[in-house]
Amino acid sequence: MNDHRSVSIVMIEDDEGHARLIEKNIRRAGILNDIRHFTDGHSALDFLYNSPQGPALNGPALVLLDLNLPDMSGTDILARIKDESSPLKRTPVVVLTTTDDKVEIQRCYDLGCNVYITKPVNYENFAQAIRQLGLFLSVIQVPEVDG
Amino acid sequence: MVRASNVFVGDRGRRTRRLLIALTIFGFLSLTCAVIIAAWAIGRTRDYTYWVNHTYQVEQAIADFRVAAERAETARRGYIINAQPQFRANYEQAAASLAPALDRLAALISDNRSEVARVATLRNDLAGLQQQRAQTLALVDANRMSDAIRAFREDGSRVLMARMRAIAQDMALAERTLLAQRDADQQSIFLTFETVLGIAAAALLLVIVLTAMTMLRYIRDLNAASGRLTELNESLEEVVAERTSDLTRANEEIQRFAYIVSHDLRAPLVNVMGFTAELDAATHNVRELIDRAEQAAPDIVTEEARLAAREDLPEAIGFIRTSTQKMDALINAILKLSREGRRVLTPERLDMDALVGQIGDTLQHRLDERGAELVIERPLPEIVSDRLAIDQILSNLIENAVKYLQPGRPGRIVVRGRIDGIRAIFEVEDNGRGIDPKDHARVFDLFRRSGAQDQPGEGIGLAHVRALVYRLGGIIDVASELGNGAMFRISLPQTLMTAQDDRK
Repeated sequence: MNDHRSVSIVMIEDDEGHARLIEKNIRRAGILNDIRHFTDGHSALDFLYNSPQGPALNGPALVLLDLNLPDMSGTDILARIKDESSPLKRTPVVVLTTTDDKVEIQRCYDLGCNVYITKPVNYENFAQAIRQLGLFLSVIQVPEVDG
Repeated sequence: MVRASNVFVGDRGRRTRRLLIALTIFGFLSLTCAVIIAAWAIGRTRDYTYWVNHTYQVEQAIADFRVAAERAETARRGYIINAQPQFRANYEQAAASLAPALDRLAALISDNRSEVARVATLRNDLAGLQQQRAQTLALVDANRMSDAIRAFREDGSRVLMARMRAIAQDMALAERTLLAQRDADQQSIFLTFETVLGIAAAALLLVIVLTAMTMLRYIRDLNAASGRLTELNESLEEVVAERTSDLTRANEEIQRFAYIVSHDLRAPLVNVMGFTAELDAATHNVRELIDRAEQAAPDIVTEEARLAAREDLPEAIGFIRTSTQKMDALINAILKLSREGRRVLTPERLDMDALVGQIGDTLQHRLDERGAELVIERPLPEIVSDRLAIDQILSNLIENAVKYLQPGRPGRIVVRGRIDGIRAIFEVEDNGRGIDPKDHARVFDLFRRSGAQDQPGEGIGLAHVRALVYRLGGIIDVASELGNGAMFRISLPQTLMTAQDDRK
């Protein structure tokens, strides 16, 4: 058991504004976990799998994932993380994106996404969603790293 | 190029047809000519035969007369020489046949004046002769033989007889001449007949040859044209397939474009909205600070700072919010349209009576609220189409009708349908406020509305309806006048063929 290790949050979001808003609301919800922000898919994947501080080599994490990234599709990242052979397959992934297209939501769940949140333009709803995410973060069971 | 060759074939065909008609008429004329000439020639031949016969009869009659005259003379002479009663009887017999023979001759040549004159001379001479003969014979009867012989020598009977012979010979000769002339005539008729027949035959032959040539050329043209047509047909299918795939590709491109645009437009909007909320929250703090400062140290609060915190900032934030919300609604509309374009259509048999009935039930509350009635002219024709799309089309149209009623007139919305060939026509007619004809095309455009903007809406409904109708392979139009209601007419294929079906 590695209880002392807190869950770090990996946010993959190309829009700086969105990232800032998400971070602010997460902090307002009282979550103080470490947040690592990446604006493109490649550097995020590199961190997830290869960085000494990354979740693959160093402790549990939660991934906040935007589907529209400049260099690759968010669903590809989701598929990589949730792949059977991936060391991160038990890492919870929260998809946060602008689409509320049913087909796309289903696709994300099929790929193993844990929560799907639509970024609403209505700010109150958005803040509400983030607060719920905070609740979610406080109740998730961090999987044991069995190797 | 295709058109030009068609025109060429048509022109050629018309010319050929005209030529054939002319040739046929010419052939008929030639035949008619030949027949007329043949009939004429046959008539003439019959006449000729008659006249040849006539000539022989005349000759026969002349010969009969001469023979009788000679026999009578011979018998008289015999009687004078040898007064045997046998000669006397012979003479009587011959003399008696003279007059009838002359009569027959006269009847035969009654049409020929010179001959008639000759016969009259003959008749005179015969009368004189008969008289002299009778005298001589009477002398013989009285046994005055020497007187009789003297009378025979002295009277002019021999002269008369000679003249009569000459006349008869002339007549026979004249008749021969006539016959020769008629022969010549007949020959010329035959010649004419043969010439005309020859010409007619040549003409017919020409017609046949020309017709055959024309027909052959025409058939060759037709074959060539049909070959070209087959070619065109084949290439047409290719062209259609090509265009269809082009269109499909273009359509998919537009859908993707709309989707990406609306998506990417939304992302910055989230920021605008989010940070506006942050600003709003910050403004609250600033306002509280101003309030507190006003109470604690009024002299440091300038009028500008107070106005900015209490009025300018909330107003600006309010405008930003409403604009953003409106923009979000518009983007959602585009997203909805583009999503509708990507939805897979599932054709099924639709009981339109039930479907429209359900729409009516759903809208019943609004109908009651606005005092309008919905009349469904049952039975509506059944169609095979996508249920959701049809439901959305008709719901939108009926909803619009309920929305835009003419104030002061009880609303009446009629839905009717009929089959027209392989298409089904549905009409939604109302007695509402109508649409200005100049706006008829505009109302189907996205975000465009017509008339007084007194009803909520973004100008999406009809654009959505039109997109759906197009997707179902249909067309939609509107007939309306301002203030006199509107009628939306949709023409849909009775059976929806989806692109997947086409490819099978």
